[in-house]
Amino acid sequence: MMKRDGQDTIIATRNLSRTYVMGNMQVTALNQVTIDIRRGEFAAIMGKSGSGKSTLLHQLGLLDTPTEGEIMIDGVDISRLSESEQTRFRLEKFGYVFQEYAILPELTALENVYLPAMALGLSQDECVTKGVDALEKVGLAERADHRPRALSGGEQQRVAIARALINKPKILFADEPTANLDSASSKQILELFRALNRDIGQTVLMVTHELEDADIVDRVIWLADGEVVEREG
Amino acid sequence: MASTTTELKVSAFLAYKFIAKGNRGTSALTILIMALAFVNLMFTTSVFDGMGDATEKQVIDTLYSNIVIEPKDDEVYIKNPDSVVKKIIHVPGVIGTSAQYVTGATIAYEERSGAWSIRAVDPDDERTVSLVPDMMIAGEYLSKYDRGEIIIGKEIAGGHGGSLEHISLGGVVVGDTVEVTFTNGVRREYRVKGIFDTNFIQSNQLAYVTEKELESVLGIHDMASQILVKTDTKGEEGRFLNQFVELGVHEDIKPWTVYAGIVATLTQSFSVLNTLTGAIGFFVAGVTIFIVIYVSTVSKRRQMGILRAIGIKESIIIRSYIFQAVFYAMCGCIAGLVIMFAILVPYFIKHPMVFPMGNVTLLIEQKAAIVRSVGLIISAAIAGFLPSWRAVRETILDAIWGD
Ligand SMILES: Nc1ncnc2c1ncn2[C@@H]1O[C@H](COP(=O)(O)OP(=O)(O)OP(=O)(O)O)[C@@H](O)[C@H]1O
Ligand SMILES: [Mg+2]
Repeated sequence: MMKRDGQDTIIATRNLSRTYVMGNMQVTALNQVTIDIRRGEFAAIMGKSGSGKSTLLHQLGLLDTPTEGEIMIDGVDISRLSESEQTRFRLEKFGYVFQEYAILPELTALENVYLPAMALGLSQDECVTKGVDALEKVGLAERADHRPRALSGGEQQRVAIARALINKPKILFADEPTANLDSASSKQILELFRALNRDIGQTVLMVTHELEDADIVDRVIWLADGEVVEREG
Repeated sequence: MASTTTELKVSAFLAYKFIAKGNRGTSALTILIMALAFVNLMFTTSVFDGMGDATEKQVIDTLYSNIVIEPKDDEVYIKNPDSVVKKIIHVPGVIGTSAQYVTGATIAYEERSGAWSIRAVDPDDERTVSLVPDMMIAGEYLSKYDRGEIIIGKEIAGGHGGSLEHISLGGVVVGDTVEVTFTNGVRREYRVKGIFDTNFIQSNQLAYVTEKELESVLGIHDMASQILVKTDTKGEEGRFLNQFVELGVHEDIKPWTVYAGIVATLTQSFSVLNTLTGAIGFFVAGVTIFIVIYVSTVSKRRQMGILRAIGIKESIIIRSYIFQAVFYAMCGCIAGLVIMFAILVPYFIKHPMVFPMGNVTLLIEQKAAIVRSVGLIISAAIAGFLPSWRAVRETILDAIWGD
């Protein structure tokens, strides 16, 4: 299924800054960042360690509050959202994949995957159907009833991706999702993102420091010292 | 809001998974500690309740029966007690009466003597209201026409290992002769016909002679100091009191509880101790749950951060911990009750504790059990809330990446 509904903007930031105050030291992790991400785009955020990649992702993913600037997501000025509205916004519109696999060891793969759907109020049957569906997308349907300890790192990460996909998010955020994986598993994850983007038009925003990832994505946002730059080594 | 049920469902789901699929050993140990905390809470109470129960039984069975009819305030004796008995004997539920004299006397044996209370009874009537006739440890109980014979409690006789041995007669045996000096100055010698032991320090300090014997000492007849009334139920004395008044009994009518001052004193002095051990018990249980939940929130800190990041509300996470704590507490209460009923109660029935009011076994009052279970569950809920609430106070980023 090809679904590229135009070139409309899903994320827009204006003069976004994030300053950390540590004692009497100020660290400007993000400095006046203005970017637009289009719906259906597969974008990578790249840059040196400490350049502000994670910080940017956290601002866009509503996990942190910017010191300055504006963020519009899907037409919503997120500074107007209360904390609980932000939580709901994340549940309904975002999917996250973190560097650690970050799934609950007490739950099976399937239960981990459908937890966000359950939190949206879906029935048990709907949860299972959607969960199996999401696990199929990441190629793990037959491991649905396994607990995380029976899964490899790459498989756990794919479970986390399935969980991120379960509520059909508008945006999938990933912060170095392959950093803990061997190259074969890394490749598989990246191809999965690529396929999701191609097949269902999933918007993906991924932080990575693997230069070769640049070739697979639609676009790279380069960061240096908290600022967006043209291109860096 | 339908979302409330959704939230409860997710909380319950997480709590269930954490318990069912988490560390079995931790769960078992937590429940065991909860059970011990519950037993600790219940044990002292059950001992005190058992003591109270034993005392009540003793007061009724060996001292005052259920209801006591006494002379009006300005009179020393009930005149014509038979007429009073006739009025009440047919009241349904009244199963015995015993009119009797009570007098003070000095009893002496060899060079020892002491002041005790003597009751003068009709032995046949007395058997309908008192269990003392069945508690003879030597000799026999009185018969209707006995003269010159006395039966005495073991604390008077001495030599039976009573608590008041030092003020007893120091080892009187059946067949010995004791000298009794009554309050009106009359002095008589009596042959000890029997010695009884009720296990109750109060009733073991009584002596009995026949009604006819004392009437000859006091030079009166057809009177009584009190009429003891036995009813077939305990706790409905008020109803009988009203009925007796309606039937024209003009004397003072009192339930046994009025005489059971010892019960009240006992309960009061122990209730402070009871409250204290209770408070400590709740605290220990609360702290245990707090630590268990705290350790769990610490070890799950990152996971909880991730759950919050993907949009699971803080209240769902907090509630899932409260559910776990409540579950542990409930299991603890049930396990505690099982320990009480399957081990402790049977043990103390086999090996009762010996107290001045007699042999005491554990008495588990339903109300006490419910109050303590609810208290334990509430303190567990609070103890589950605090660490989880604290855990979701920190920012999501600190939870996931903080140190
Ligand atoms: N909580 C914080 N307190 C203080 N300074 C911080 C905090 N988080 C990040 N920083 C600083 O902000 C800057 C950007 O950090 P960020 O984590 O965004 O970098 P990054 O590009 O993701 O690096 P890496 O590739 O190592 O993950 C760094 O200088 C970092 O030290
Ligand atoms: Mg980073």
